[in-house]
Formats: sequence, structure tokens, C-alpha cells
Amino acid sequence: MALINEFSKLPTVGPKTAARLVFYLLNRPRNEAQALAEAILAVKDRVRLCSICFSITEEDPCPFCTDQRRDATLLCVVAEAKDIFALERTSAYKGRYHVIGGLISPMDGIGPAQLRVKELIERVGSESPQEIILATNPNAEGEATALYLSRLITPLGVSVTRLAYGLPIGGDLDYADEVTLAKAIEGRRAL
Amino acid sequence: MLDFRPQAGLNVLVGQNAQGKSNLLEAICLLGTGKSFRTNRESDLIKSGLDVASASGEATLRAAGTIRLSCTISSTPRGTRKIYTLNGEPVKYAKFLGSAKVVTFVPADLQLVTGPPSLRRHLLNMALSQDQPLYYRNLARYQKVLVQKAALLRGAVAPDPDLVNIYNQTLVETGAAIMLARAHFVSALGREARRVQDQWISDGGALQVQYDANVPFEVATQDAVTAAFEARLRERAEAESARKACLVGPHRDDVMLLLAGASLAAFGSQGQQRTAVLAVKAGEYTVMHDRSAEAPLLLLDDVLSELDPSRARAFMNGIGHYEQAFLTTTVMPPDLRSSALYEVSAAQLKRVA
Repeated sequence: MALINEFSKLPTVGPKTAARLVFYLLNRPRNEAQALAEAILAVKDRVRLCSICFSITEEDPCPFCTDQRRDATLLCVVAEAKDIFALERTSAYKGRYHVIGGLISPMDGIGPAQLRVKELIERVGSESPQEIILATNPNAEGEATALYLSRLITPLGVSVTRLAYGLPIGGDLDYADEVTLAKAIEGRRAL
Repeated sequence: MLDFRPQAGLNVLVGQNAQGKSNLLEAICLLGTGKSFRTNRESDLIKSGLDVASASGEATLRAAGTIRLSCTISSTPRGTRKIYTLNGEPVKYAKFLGSAKVVTFVPADLQLVTGPPSLRRHLLNMALSQDQPLYYRNLARYQKVLVQKAALLRGAVAPDPDLVNIYNQTLVETGAAIMLARAHFVSALGREARRVQDQWISDGGALQVQYDANVPFEVATQDAVTAAFEARLRERAEAESARKACLVGPHRDDVMLLLAGASLAAFGSQGQQRTAVLAVKAGEYTVMHDRSAEAPLLLLDDVLSELDPSRARAFMNGIGHYEQAFLTTTVMPPDLRSSALYEVSAAQLKRVA
């Protein structure tokens, strides 16, 4: 069936899940299917990138950039727009964002020139934030990207910080891997 | 599906070629190391016509008691997937590795003296990764960053000296730890191999096993190795960008095997080379055993039967004490005492003694 095929192209969806989704939809009223189809098309037609932070948005500039209650002295750099939504779920961050659009990975043909690094530097100049928070993933590519950006931004006289490494809350010391545990010891804090 | 309950001591699997003896050993190796000793291509482990291969087993350890391990390889439209479990819980490879330690001796090891450096690095990597989880993690990070740096030097993206320096920083951090671990391991390996070699007829002089680090260092300390590595990267920076390749670091390490001070690969007779391989492999086992409270499983794939009886006996003497070993062979070596003897035929197993 064509729809099963289409669904199984989606990330994390295999042929079995795709079939389940299709059979579920078959059993639902027509208007639900229509709403889903329209929502999918709307994503493609209406959603675009914010011209300031490059997050995805239906209106440009995006609500994160126009919201005056957000702290303009903080700028958080993420790889992808989806990382913003992860950070927003915490409700712990009230500053601005900048999406660089990926991580430095020469093996995939992605160097600093392929990312929105120039745009970031321009924003640092024009918006003069006091702190840049680098929130890239703690893997090899995320690390390299963060180090690269920090070398670029630090000379501009802005403080650059990196998300902390450490143990997951509710976790067990026993289950932590050696590298995470070693980083947690390095990054320990006075109580 | 085959169910196998081996005995303590030496389990001998006898059978004609292509009956599934090595396959069984491979399954045990998969449970210990998560990798096959025959192939690097995961998809080769799956029987043609099927899309899943799976090995599961129980191991009884001194420290942890009985643990359950499984490794499942499945081919999906998006490539081969591998799932490891420990006591029924899915775990990452880094956690799975080393749960049940394994030392293998397979036909490819016979090239250890004469073959390429990658064979000798592979021995160090497999042994140290099982022994020290941090070694494996450093190695994995090193290799990942090395691939990125290589792509950058090759010109996959615009040249960027800053980025090269950032990659070098991680290479030094992880590489220095790898080099230190290798230096300690090789010095222990050399001592043990020498001891094993001394036990049999003196074969033209003393065997030496030396760590031939691509970045030479004076003393084996974190600071000295880090400084030497950093200096070497600076010296060779121009050459690296001119030749578009990563020229410096432990990915180019080797282990030198010398007999009476001369290279065994260049000057040793075939007999001397063979003896050295046996001494190094037996030494590998005793070093691994010394470093752990558990006696590693010993997997001998079709190797001892190729040796003359005196060498085979000397090898087993060199290994010394072990708790459980598996040996595949087409003919039973005459003077080997086994705890259990199995006949393998058409992928079926029958205990005969």
C-alpha cells in the first residue's frame, strides 16, 4: 500500500508501525484524515525559517525573537530547531536562540561555511548579548562545533558558556558510563 | 537454533570442515566481544536467506555471579542493526564489551609477525578494550575525530587551521591515554611472551616485544606523552596538509617483535616466527588473566591442530591456568586432555566423551 510505504520513510517508523498507523487511520472518520493531511501540507506551505534566529516559524520574525519578555542579553546556540523545543520544555531558559543548522562534520561535507556561523557573529555584533550559551550535543561533532564557536566568539569580548555535563537526575552512579562520570567529577560544584 | 552447555576446562569440537565448528566459536566470541573474529562485515554473520542472527548465553563470573548476554544482528532496509543485552536489558556496546572476557587464537593470528601493523594494533585494541572500558571509549572517540580530521585535510570542506587544531586537541587527549595504556600492556606482554618462550627449546635467542609508538616519548607519563604528541603534531602540520592525510598518532602505532635483537619479520625463520606468535598469544592470555579477577575464556579456532605436538603442548603450558577453553579441530590432537569432546556435523553437536 502506498501510504504504508510513505509512512515507513519517516524517522523511527518501520514497516510494522507504518501498517499500524494506516489501519488506525482507516478506522477513523474522514474529517480526521483530512485534518491530518491539511496539517502536513500547512507545515510545508506556511512554516519557514525565522530571518533572525533561523528557528522554524509561521510568522517572521518568530515569537522567540519578538517576545520582549525574553532576556536579550542571553543567546543560546543550538544545532537544530528541534533543540529549541527541547530547551523550551524545561521552562528554565528565557533568553534568545540561534539555530546554526547542523554540526561541523567534514566527513558529511559540513564545515563552518555550511552553517549559520557568519549570521551568529553578526548578531553578536548587532544585539550585543552578554553571554553566549553553546547547547550543542555532547558528542564528537557537537564538541568540535562548540570549541570552534568559542574560539571565534571569545575574542569579541562576550562570555561563552557550555551546557554542563553530568549525571542524569534520578539516575544511578552504578549505571553511568565512565566518561560521563569522569566529566561529572571534573564539573563538581560546592554545595 | 543450537543449544550448547559446555563443561569447565577444555571443550574440544571435532569435525570435518564446513560443519559449523568455527561458527559456534564465533557465537561465543560475539557474546564476549560483540564482534566476530572472522569478519568486520556484520551482514556476513547472518545466514543467507534470513534477516536475523542471534547469540545468547549465560556466563558465571566470580565477581558478578551468573550474567545473561545476548547479541542480535538484524538486517533492515536502513542497514545492519546490532542489539546487545545484559541480563535482559538492552545496553550500549561500551557497556556490553568486557562483561565476559575472551582471548581468541584464530588462523589469522598466525600472520601476527609477518602481517601488517593493523593486525598487531588489533590485538592491542581487542585486549585493552575488554580490559578497560575507558580505553574503548577513548579509542572510539579518537577514531571518530580522526575520520573528521582526515575529511577536512582531504578537502571535503574549506581548509581551516583552527578546526584542525580543535580536532588535534581531542586526538591528543584521547590518543595520549591510548598510547599510555598500550605502553603498559606491551611491556607486560613482552615479559610474559619471553617467559613462555623460555619454557621451550631456546630458539635462537631471546624474544623481545616492543611498543613502536608512532609518536616516540621519553617516559610513560600523561604529561610527557601529551607534550610529545602535541609537539609532533606541530612539526608535521605542514606535511599533513600537503599530503592531505593524518600522519601522526597512535593509529600508526606498531609492535616490534625481535629475536636476539633482530626483526623477526625480516630475519626470522618460519619456525621462529611461528614460535613467537605462540609466545605472544600465550602471553596475551596470561596478561589478560593477571589484570582481571576472572579467567578469560580461551577460544582456539583450528590453530593447535596445525602445530606439531611439542609446540601445541608448550603453548598450552604457556597459557597455564584457565577455567574454560574451546578448541575446534579436524583431528583430535593426540596428547591433549579434554574435559569434553563433541562431534560437530552438519551444524549438529553430539557429545562423545
